[in-house]
Amino acid sequence: MIEISGHNIIIALTIHYVDEPMLLKVRFHGRGGHGVKTASRILGEAAFNEGLYAQDSPIYGAERRGAPVAAFTRISDEEILERGFIFDPDIVVVMDETLLNDWSAKPLDGLKPGGIAFVNTTANSQLYDYGETIRENLVIYDLTGLALKIIGKPIISTPSAAAASKITGIISESSLIDAVTSELSEIGVGDDVIENNIILAREVFRSIPETPPSTKLSDSKRELIPLEVVISYPGYEDIVSVGNSPLRKTGNWRVFKPIVDFSRCTACGVCFVYCPDAAITLRSDGKPEIDYDNCKGCLICYRECPPRAISIEREVRVW
Amino acid sequence: MRHKAVMLTGNAAAAWGARLARAEYIPAYPITPQTEIIETLTKWIQEGEMDAKLVQLESEHSMLTAAGTASLTGVRVFTATSSQGLLYGFEMLYNIAGWRAPLVLVNVSRALAAPISLEPDHNDVLAARDSGFIQLHAETCQEVLDFILLAYRVAEDRRVMLPAIVNMDGFYLSFTREPVKIREQDLVDEFLPHYSAVNPFRASRHVAKGSAVVGGHIYSYFKYHMHEALRRAHDVFIEAARSFSRKFGELYHPVSGYMLDDAEYVLVMSNSFATLGKHVVKLMRQRGVPAGLLKISMIRPFPAEEIANSLKGRKAVAVFDQNISLGLGGIIYNEVLGALYGCPKRPEIVLSVIGGVGGKWLSVEEMEKIFDELKRLERSGITKPRPLFLFRRDELTHIERVLKLAGTIEVSHHE
Repeated sequence: MIEISGHNIIIALTIHYVDEPMLLKVRFHGRGGHGVKTASRILGEAAFNEGLYAQDSPIYGAERRGAPVAAFTRISDEEILERGFIFDPDIVVVMDETLLNDWSAKPLDGLKPGGIAFVNTTANSQLYDYGETIRENLVIYDLTGLALKIIGKPIISTPSAAAASKITGIISESSLIDAVTSELSEIGVGDDVIENNIILAREVFRSIPETPPSTKLSDSKRELIPLEVVISYPGYEDIVSVGNSPLRKTGNWRVFKPIVDFSRCTACGVCFVYCPDAAITLRSDGKPEIDYDNCKGCLICYRECPPRAISIEREVRVW
Repeated sequence: MRHKAVMLTGNAAAAWGARLARAEYIPAYPITPQTEIIETLTKWIQEGEMDAKLVQLESEHSMLTAAGTASLTGVRVFTATSSQGLLYGFEMLYNIAGWRAPLVLVNVSRALAAPISLEPDHNDVLAARDSGFIQLHAETCQEVLDFILLAYRVAEDRRVMLPAIVNMDGFYLSFTREPVKIREQDLVDEFLPHYSAVNPFRASRHVAKGSAVVGGHIYSYFKYHMHEALRRAHDVFIEAARSFSRKFGELYHPVSGYMLDDAEYVLVMSNSFATLGKHVVKLMRQRGVPAGLLKISMIRPFPAEEIANSLKGRKAVAVFDQNISLGLGGIIYNEVLGALYGCPKRPEIVLSVIGGVGGKWLSVEEMEKIFDELKRLERSGITKPRPLFLFRRDELTHIERVLKLAGTIEVSHHE
């Protein structure tokens, strides 16, 4: 483990591509609102600026803030004959460490042997058990902390793209910065915010070492099954075990946690009325109780509280 | 390739197609995954970069009615929808074609409910295959842009005068960025002259359109005309494509081959998954298998003769359908069989492959399986093979988990 500007960074040792011709597949995992799609676009544009072929795309369902989102960037020195979901990435960029435990997101799934996993995490947080194959090729950095410091918001499209660009070892800082400028302009971001994002991108790009993956094509084959097996399962899309939404806890979507100072709370009930997720109930004394298992950290209560009795605190892991 | 190319999504490429074609009237209604087209056009119109009138209607039925009637006044009309939206306005498709209104509609394919989904297959656009619309199906974002220009040119040709659908897959093209050359406006203006309508609606000149007919013979008369006009669109397309290639370089065909010349095993595909087909053809070639791909870009008029000519003498053919006509099977498979019947030297083995329905992700293994199956059929001498439905074990494992959550299965018997 190498200490770089206060962050623990573990570096892969080999720097070359085994596949010929080069096709580099990067998969981003984050949550709605992180800037996952924009991250994949900045990386795609940066590669395109380098004169390479690039392709970027997001995948998402019913869009909402906080829900798991994935996006993909393919980079090649020849025409790209792939589309859609990347099953076997060379690099995964995990923009929210809580997704590592999410069975539907499965961010490390299919990472090729020798591939690089980047995880956005605070250096002082306890590391997850990433598994043997990942631990050797892991790069970690607190992108959210740096984003909060420089742009004041936990939006990490730019630093995630900067991290991925640097890891590839084939994208220059100037191509990255051009891409940050053009992509953020296109979605209507103001000049001053773009300036701060450029500072953020440079900081990340310069802090993270080049760690190109040295991946091999995986030998594992996905098994196909005949129609007979598929249709031996129930064929109606009925949900008979209704009322199971509470099983899907949404509290780990938070970046900031609202905390009530009961000595200042006047039991006015404004937070209760405004909470869009019914995550606030009122106790018998009329003061709020926040359901942290499901509070998504939208902070509307914090903004609306008339006596300013709600404060916020950055959270790293909820569970 | 880099000169003049920019990174564009299929939706942005469609908006550029409408802009370069100088579409004048754009009736709109939002639906995922098409909405970005309309948003892009709205932004340009608002910023004064595009001179057009965009109106949001209250439904796709009204949107298509406005589109067709506006086209009859002599303005160039562009509109776009997806899936449920196309079906909601479906009644008007036959009307627009019958009115001989040569507008261009971009359909961003999305599977039809139920179950409700956002990802693509072609049951939506193929439901419109009998309506009288020309149908061009794009594999790449570049084709989305170029096909819109070609579609206007063919649709507005006096030998055709029929509307056109340009189809692109949701997500795989609509939200996917890749390098796209934005064509030069002055060259587009030369390629696509001003649209001149037949008997346009004018305040100063009376004309009735869409009149009722009493008597099947009158109805038949006009339907025969439409059929022949749509058939003529094939040759008009080839003519237009030649003119396009002289200006812009790319030469488009109703059907085209990839590593096809000496191929013995041929995969027939359309739309964006044809890219995945090319990938596996390349892999097969590296392994010494004489594989090739035939891409159908023009679904209507159906280029039956070219398909038959391209497939004659091959050892085995697989037709990939990203759709399913319930109770029949693959739609394109059956149309290809129709094209081959009675042709000399037609391939003995024609396998139907169903895959990518509802946007189901396809792995390389599934695409390889198609060629393995063709070789197996050839060895075993089976000439009437059962259709191949692509599905993977890991997908079924996920479904087991979902069914357990839904409460429709108790305990997995496969875990």
